[in-house]
Amino acid sequence: MKAEQQKSYRISDIAARTGFSPDTLRYYEKIGLLKGVNRTPSGLRCYSERDLSRLRFIQRAKTMDFSLEEIARLIEMREDPQHARYEVRALAHQKLASIEQHMATLKLLKDELTLLINLCRGSDNGCPIIDRLDRQDTDS
Amino acid sequence: MTLCLEIFTAPGCNRCGRALELAQRLSEEPGNQRLSWRRVDVVEELDYAVQRGIRFTPAFVLDGKLLFRGMPAEQPLRDTVLKQLARHEG
Repeated sequence: MKAEQQKSYRISDIAARTGFSPDTLRYYEKIGLLKGVNRTPSGLRCYSERDLSRLRFIQRAKTMDFSLEEIARLIEMREDPQHARYEVRALAHQKLASIEQHMATLKLLKDELTLLINLCRGSDNGCPIIDRLDRQDTDS
Repeated sequence: MTLCLEIFTAPGCNRCGRALELAQRLSEEPGNQRLSWRRVDVVEELDYAVQRGIRFTPAFVLDGKLLFRGMPAEQPLRDTVLKQLARHEG
């Protein structure tokens, strides 16, 4: 039986899929954030599904304002979770706590906006809630 | 100790007036002396409303717990309040 060929992507495909520019992708490789990117015989970068998965992780971590150094350490853990060093595990715990705090803040904001939207729904003459909040801002 | 029924209202809310009348009537009924009530304007107390789980108005909160979202029929509200009062006294 013929083995299934691994999917591979060119740098432009990866840029389109992740939103990272080709320059950024090359930079991540240069600083070791993305290791072991394959090359074609002519020297073109050839990204695997695993590389794409790593880049998506980097993308998510960046939205949480993790530094590149922190991301590099977390990728190290991602590659081999069972043998992660103590300080890398501690960093993962710290980041998890920060994400949970962020989620609680987002939930509060979501609940607040849901309430405001529901209060405005069905009102033909603008939104009485927003009008009143505007007045409070002007008065203060 | 009294139980506090909170009616969450908002400006422009059509059914909030009826909710307030209902709370007033309930608190004045014989045997309900231990029931107090207050109006909570969600714009004035937005954080508190969100914390109590209010998503629209009117809403009824008794002793810190959300009882009804929207306008309940009078009898279910009365039954729930009386049950809570009895539990509180017991």
